[in-house]
Amino acid sequence: MTETIETLSDAIDFDPVLLPVLAGRFETIVREMTNTLFRTGRSSVLNMARDFSCCIVTADNDLLACAEGLQVHVLGAGMQTESMTELHPELAPGDAYLHNDPFLGNTHTADHTILVPVFYGGRHLFTAAAKAHQGDCGNAEPTTYMAFAEDIYAEGGLNFPCVAIQRDYSDVEDIIRMCRRRIRVPDIWYGDYLATLGAARVGERRIIELVDKYGPETVQQFVTEWLNYSERSMAAAIARLPERQLTASSTHDPIDCAPEGIPITVKLDIKPAEGKIVVDLRDNPDCIPAGFNLSQATATSGAIIGILNAIPEDVPRNSGAFRRIEVELREGCIVGIPPEPMSTSLATTNVLERVINPVQRAFAQLGFGHGLAEGGGACGAGFAVISGVDRRTGTERPYVNQLVVGSNGGPGTPTCDGWVTYCMPDAAMVVYSDSVEVLEQRFPMQVNHIRLLTDSGGAGQFRGAPATEVAFGPTDTDMTVYYFADFAQHPALGVLGGLPGSPVTLRRDNADGTSVDLAPIGDTTLGAGDMVIGAEAGGGGYGDPYLRDPALVLDDVVEGWISVDAAVEVYGVRLHHHEDGQYTVNDDATRILRTRSPR
Amino acid sequence: MPVRITVDIGGTCTDLVVSGVGDQIVVGKALTTFDAPEGGLWEALSDAARQLDLAPDELLRQTELFVYSTTRATNAILEGTTSPTALLVTEGFRDLLVRKEGGRLRPYDFATPFPKPYIPRHLTFEVPERIAVTGEVVRPLTTAAADDVIDRIRLANVEAVAIALVWSIVNPAHEDLLTQRINAALPEVAVSVSHRLNPVIREFRRASSVALDASLKPLMQKHLHAIDQWLRSAGYSGRLVAATSLGGVLFFEDIIERPIYLAKSGPALAPMAGLAYSAAEAGSGVKDVRDIVVCDTGGTSFDVSLVRGGRPVVTRETWLGETHTGHLTGLASLDVRSVGAGGGSIARIAAGGLLQVGPRSAGSDPGPACYGLGGVEPTVTDAAAVLGYLDAESFLGGRVRLNIPAAHDAVGKLGEQIGLDPARTAAAILTVAGGGAAGMTIVPIVEAIGCSRVLIPPTAGALSATGAHFSDVLREFTRSYPTTSAAFDHDGVVAAKRALDDEARAFGERLHGTGVTGFEWDYIVESRYAEQIWDLEVPFDDEMLNAPDAAARLRSAFDAEHQRIFTVSDPSETVEFLAWKVRARGVLHHPDIVAAPRTEPAPRRHRAAVFEGHIVDTPVLGRDDLIPGESTTGPVLVQLVTTTIVVPPRWTLQITDRGSFILSKEQS
Repeated sequence: MTETIETLSDAIDFDPVLLPVLAGRFETIVREMTNTLFRTGRSSVLNMARDFSCCIVTADNDLLACAEGLQVHVLGAGMQTESMTELHPELAPGDAYLHNDPFLGNTHTADHTILVPVFYGGRHLFTAAAKAHQGDCGNAEPTTYMAFAEDIYAEGGLNFPCVAIQRDYSDVEDIIRMCRRRIRVPDIWYGDYLATLGAARVGERRIIELVDKYGPETVQQFVTEWLNYSERSMAAAIARLPERQLTASSTHDPIDCAPEGIPITVKLDIKPAEGKIVVDLRDNPDCIPAGFNLSQATATSGAIIGILNAIPEDVPRNSGAFRRIEVELREGCIVGIPPEPMSTSLATTNVLERVINPVQRAFAQLGFGHGLAEGGGACGAGFAVISGVDRRTGTERPYVNQLVVGSNGGPGTPTCDGWVTYCMPDAAMVVYSDSVEVLEQRFPMQVNHIRLLTDSGGAGQFRGAPATEVAFGPTDTDMTVYYFADFAQHPALGVLGGLPGSPVTLRRDNADGTSVDLAPIGDTTLGAGDMVIGAEAGGGGYGDPYLRDPALVLDDVVEGWISVDAAVEVYGVRLHHHEDGQYTVNDDATRILRTRSPR
Repeated sequence: MPVRITVDIGGTCTDLVVSGVGDQIVVGKALTTFDAPEGGLWEALSDAARQLDLAPDELLRQTELFVYSTTRATNAILEGTTSPTALLVTEGFRDLLVRKEGGRLRPYDFATPFPKPYIPRHLTFEVPERIAVTGEVVRPLTTAAADDVIDRIRLANVEAVAIALVWSIVNPAHEDLLTQRINAALPEVAVSVSHRLNPVIREFRRASSVALDASLKPLMQKHLHAIDQWLRSAGYSGRLVAATSLGGVLFFEDIIERPIYLAKSGPALAPMAGLAYSAAEAGSGVKDVRDIVVCDTGGTSFDVSLVRGGRPVVTRETWLGETHTGHLTGLASLDVRSVGAGGGSIARIAAGGLLQVGPRSAGSDPGPACYGLGGVEPTVTDAAAVLGYLDAESFLGGRVRLNIPAAHDAVGKLGEQIGLDPARTAAAILTVAGGGAAGMTIVPIVEAIGCSRVLIPPTAGALSATGAHFSDVLREFTRSYPTTSAAFDHDGVVAAKRALDDEARAFGERLHGTGVTGFEWDYIVESRYAEQIWDLEVPFDDEMLNAPDAAARLRSAFDAEHQRIFTVSDPSETVEFLAWKVRARGVLHHPDIVAAPRTEPAPRRHRAAVFEGHIVDTPVLGRDDLIPGESTTGPVLVQLVTTTIVVPPRWTLQITDRGSFILSKEQS
């Protein structure tokens, strides 16, 4: 062991009681911030889908607490606060900063972050941060994902490189006016801004109360110890892994400026002796003139998410733990550090999933029990951005909003099947789903179905979760639908004999009865009675399907997760179908089937 | 004073509380047994009757009102032992209960299996129909299609059917049609219908409500009938009510129609006791009785609820099981949160050197190391033993003789791993455990949330059953009548309120001659800013509503509430007023909390106990060693039958005339 891995006995130089207590208090503050934003947000992507995150960062730009924040949102928060302290030496109590600049640590332009520096006794101790995906961010087209913008000028969204939006607890009206002028839904934007600001202010208030109670010295000492503890936990988890170099690849479907697709290769160097993992993302293609480039924040987060997913230990997720993960990035690389004016409009989705997936999959090369299969990561119909004009109340009310009605299938794991409510790799399982009734009340639309597809989860000893298919369209006026789905040609892969999940599907059924397949990335305008119908991607399976417990296969058939045919052909399990409609496992036939056709 | 009996049948103990015989409130206790519907009821009744020098059947004969509360409904839902139930949904939405609303705690956890839906997919049937947001029928439901669905239900051999169709809250025609056909074709099958049980927007929430409700009907109807029969045969002839998750009570014939209100009904009674005792003790050291945190420690859980401005806090987000992944009741109920921490929770050192307590528990066999039954892992109880807070001879009323050295061994070994001596380790375990140890850890808990005063009522060991003595008949009526601050439909709102008043009045008339002494109506309007989707409850009254500037008054009340909860408000934004509600309360007689008789103090003892790392020869007092009006300064231990109250240094202890303990932090 090196000197950085301390022995447990001299590990904690802080009241061992106060350590978990204060860690819990900070998490609780983040949850209260989260609740504030959720309950008060105006766009449905916030108040139903919860596509936002809150966290607390130290004055030294260490991520301290993030509760159930979206993985891709919070892990890089320290980069944003760093730009705040560098750009604003005048930092004072009552300030709030609007930050959505992907070149200064933000995820992508559509995520507006509010940073509130928290002062105590005249000193900046923490920053309360709240980041929310906007209904609209002033892009050239009514979507927050500009797939084919060749640069930020074509993207067109308003950029705020960490600018003051409040001084002395009052709005800087200039900034408010700029947003109101250039954002398509100004009132909704302002309501969402208030919700985000409110969340950060709640955090500020609670942090000050906490420091009041325990004193600034104790709290700062806690921060040091908690980050050190987290680092030790991470080092201990890595120390249990074998020393290995792993490589895995994953390819984003072809697009116009990358006709062969975008292949991403991740190289991992596991160094148990040093308690460290190095992820090298440098050997990858250069940036492309489209919105698919990752920002530095999302490239870094992607590698870290993949590792955290594959480390089963209960390691706190903060900058202390991340000291044990080294991510090597290259300037000008599509999964690295994009130079201006490259567009990163899709940096929180498409290519990002092609970083997370191979990292978590690579660990399976260490053998059964390690790593995960790949999760579905498409943004098709179920995550489309819809826009149009609502004329139902006699007035003309424009709307723009991202739907969260579908889900990709989660990956099979060494111990269980994938999660149906997985969402996608960068926000696995924490995002909520829209209510059909609330959507139909909010927008002039009707949702016809949200259904899980039989046989869409990748087969395995532990099955990938099925994909969700959705169908919706406008009720009276035209609706434009933007979608940006990967995973049509390169589905989520299984591991250790597990099979891939189903690919994305997308089509439009017209009111006149005709039906056309849609390119998975693009937009379409629907008239009354037209529908978009599409399924996201199924999750990959973990392990050989022939090793799946026949009782689970039986349950899968009864519950409709898989067909009787798949039970026989893919899982090697034969069922009796009784006259009363019940199924049971035909043990003898299954045994013969599984021995005669080994996989 | 009318005699009232309340019973709370919990998972471990049956608590029974009597008021009206003499002036004292009497608590009887017994272990719960699940072999008969009435469980430990007779034993608990006998225990209470003994203290009143009455025969149990004599006590029952004198009783006018019996309040029943049981954990049976909650347990059946959590253990999946409710009746086989089918769910009918609009075609296209079979997966409502599978997908719920998404979300989960613990991102990065890929080892927890995806939860099964409350009703399996193969018992969820899609109905070919659709109603639009406007109420317009987009796809008519034919009787042939309805009957086809009924044929499939018949084959499925279910005992109950839950119906939740999209937009039934604006047009219930299709839900009504299905209900009629099912009642006619399958009269023995119980039916719950979403627009009647829980008329709220959000299809998953209605589906979840009816699924839980329907699945409880056959079971709980049978159970309540059995309880009724048993009580009648035991000599009871008074009125019979059951506690609800709103902290009120309903007559059996009402609750049998909506048994979902029985789920989590016991814990919802605790805030009623908290309110009653803090009101009674006002003046004797308790100042503000409007804002109260109520903590109730059970054998395996610690329940916390909140009273704000004299009203228990209500939520629509009550999950049975874990948030997001358990089962949502979807109905308004008192907000009671539980932590699974008890005396048996095991302490361990996690990788990285962090002390953790629970979630693993040693249970009662082998139990904590100090039980001497073979347990070797240190538990919360062992930590208390090491600190000298427990008496080896009188633990659990003397039923278990504690092996204190074994506790020292177990805790000491754990401490070695993090370089702490046994006493510091033990103190650490109790702090990290939080609620697990009742009176022993309440002071550090309340200190952490900034409270400086704790009231422990004499009936703390049976808080829920006691609360039922202070609860009333409670029903909520709702009228959906959306309007806005920008175009306030004053006449429409007044008409909606009049309709509410009519409903509440009709409900009130049914309560004549049932012991209700008065009637109180609380009015609430659910409001939000335009484009928000979650609302806040804003109380209003006739004075506000009849004022010429009613809209302005309502909106500023909303702005203030939004500012208070969320630190921001938006006075220039339109406010939407959606659902208008009345909570109608048929006030029942509440017993007085009066001075408690005193008995002779026992001889004073001392025990070595650890405070702040130092061994202190600490006085051990009994209830009767304390004299009202006098303060005792910590450190002090108070040995009670059910727990030990630990008064640390810088805190003082008083007993009130009524037998409540009040712990106060000394002013520094």
